[in-house]
Amino acid sequence: MKHLFWILYGCIFLSIGAGFFVHIYFHPHIHFFWEALPIFNAVYGFIGCIVIIIGSKALGHYWLHRKEDYYEKHEGIRSEDK
Amino acid sequence: MIEWFHPGLIYIFGALLIPVLRGRVKKAYLLLLPTMAFINLLLMSGGVFSSKGKTWSLSFLGYDLFLGQIDALSMVFAYVFVIASFCMMLYAIHIKEDGQHVAAYLYVGSTLGVVFAGDLFTLFFFWEVMAWSSLLLIWYRRKKVAYQAGFRYILVHFFGGACLLGGILLHLQTTGSIAFETFHWGWEMSRNNLPSNLILLAFLINAAVPPLHAWLTDAYPEATVTGAVFLTAFTTKSAIYVLIRGFPGVELLIWLGAIMAVYGIVFAVLENDIRRLLAYHIICQVGYMVSGVGMGVIGTAAGEMGINGGVAHAFNNILYKTLLFMGAGAVIEVTGRSKLTELGGLYKYMPITFHLYMVGAYSISGFPLFNGFVSKTMVVQASAMWHLPMIWLMLEGASIGTFLSIGLKLPWVTWFAREEPVCEAKEPPKNMLAAMGIIAFLCILLGVYPKILYNLLPYPVHYEPYTLSHVVTVCQLLLFTFVAFRLLRRMLHGEPTITLDTDWFYRAAGNGVIWFCEKPLMTFANFIDRNVMSVAGFFVWFSRNPVVALSIKKEEIKLIGKKLFTSPERVEEYQRGLEEERRRYPGVLPRLTLGASVFLILFSLSLYLILYLLMAF
Repeated sequence: MKHLFWILYGCIFLSIGAGFFVHIYFHPHIHFFWEALPIFNAVYGFIGCIVIIIGSKALGHYWLHRKEDYYEKHEGIRSEDK
Repeated sequence: MIEWFHPGLIYIFGALLIPVLRGRVKKAYLLLLPTMAFINLLLMSGGVFSSKGKTWSLSFLGYDLFLGQIDALSMVFAYVFVIASFCMMLYAIHIKEDGQHVAAYLYVGSTLGVVFAGDLFTLFFFWEVMAWSSLLLIWYRRKKVAYQAGFRYILVHFFGGACLLGGILLHLQTTGSIAFETFHWGWEMSRNNLPSNLILLAFLINAAVPPLHAWLTDAYPEATVTGAVFLTAFTTKSAIYVLIRGFPGVELLIWLGAIMAVYGIVFAVLENDIRRLLAYHIICQVGYMVSGVGMGVIGTAAGEMGINGGVAHAFNNILYKTLLFMGAGAVIEVTGRSKLTELGGLYKYMPITFHLYMVGAYSISGFPLFNGFVSKTMVVQASAMWHLPMIWLMLEGASIGTFLSIGLKLPWVTWFAREEPVCEAKEPPKNMLAAMGIIAFLCILLGVYPKILYNLLPYPVHYEPYTLSHVVTVCQLLLFTFVAFRLLRRMLHGEPTITLDTDWFYRAAGNGVIWFCEKPLMTFANFIDRNVMSVAGFFVWFSRNPVVALSIKKEEIKLIGKKLFTSPERVEEYQRGLEEERRRYPGVLPRLTLGASVFLILFSLSLYLILYLLMAF
């Protein structure tokens, strides 16, 4: 398991390196200005993931989460019927 | 020699024989039907059966119906439905109850009916069969929650079906044609746009586009373990098929699709039930397809890329989503638990299931060498070709969320997360593992060698997924998602809650409407009813003998006066007299002779006549 993580961390650094490599040697065709940044996807992945987790959880805690029997109370189902 | 045979009918008529057969013969027969349908499709591709155009015409109410409309688009969907149905049946083959198999094959057959429908009446017919046959797969769970979710599911689909029928009839009235072709669609609310808007609404309901999606996440997780596997593939993906046929290049769909993709991942993060989590990711993935259809302006390179991407993604999605539901279903089958809060540490008992599930998870996340990669990037590429920066960011962002929920959170919480397994478990039955194995193999095959899929697509593919820059950017995106997950994984444990969604409007608010009808509205109605009846009752009483009744009323008024001015004893005496009079009422009634009755009738008629004449002048 430990080895697996080291390989993974290796891949992470490799992907950053490869980003620069592709950028310098291949000059890929870009559609949007941010694609000019070789590590844009890494940054987007990292920040995007954090925003998704915190944003969704906030949405749940402040608005959407309810107790599991919420609808049963509304619909009048007895719990033993489930 | 026959010109063609409808593959859907192999399932529908084949299903009738299932209850007659027993034991191994039945199992072999169940797998034979999809094999026959597959051979049928191969014969069509090979040109033995008619492989293009409309066929199997049928006359109905003076219209020509076409059960077979064959082109590249219908063929690619038919292929994936048939392949998936084989694996799904293998997964479900240990089920003893014949009804489940019959319902499943009716469902598959009617979906193929939709795919090959050449006119709108045929489409509507199979559309409705699809709705109720899939309902049975939910009800076979035989739990009260499943029955209730099933009722909500079918009500939404009946609503969709009604919209479809209304749209079809109006379309017929305005255009005079029932051919299933691209509809004229526009924003403006005019009579000409109403039919196509109604039809689009029906298609969007089946494609589970928010806010019309709640039937999916409400009902699918309540279906039987094997039924849910069937449900994942057909309804939403056949909706994508009809959207491509009817509404390619409708700009609204680009945005709806992108919103769907993000909506699905947000709710998936909040979800505690593993199959509901996966169901939200159906919505997310269908979002890519809907977006692709929206970008699919026919005749442009970017548009054809959009349609191709949408179709390819539907093809791949059916495979990996089925695999994921099979994995989750296997966990539920052996542990009887479906909530993240009740699962954990199962790797010790179910490593094979875990690894097969992970193939599906890598596919849906779009890792290179898995099939999601070769199709998801096509839709994203189409958005880049159209220069839609917001759409591009939303679709890429949805990739992050997909990997987070399905590739990291769900497997981590289910198979690891705890030191000790939460309960005893074992690998699921062999047929389930075999079915998962076949699909996992297909996911990797199409990921490694996408040419097979690209050759099936409706337009020629000018796209190479495996360029260095594609692979590197996707790897960066997903690996850094993993880094963020490592940092925040403590926040991602399941929570014993449910999440409100748009089904609240017909579950909680719907109950409010019922309460309003039962309590305030009913009280008001009773009040009115009582009063009107008492007035009517008075007139009935009064007319029995108006002369006596008038005198009784007169006495009653006198009694009120006496109560004020005379002694209580006299009032009491007077009251007794009045009671006696009331009891005797109506007393001896004078008999009317026949002549008198006729006279009265004529008199009242002549009164009417006078009144009528007065009104006329």
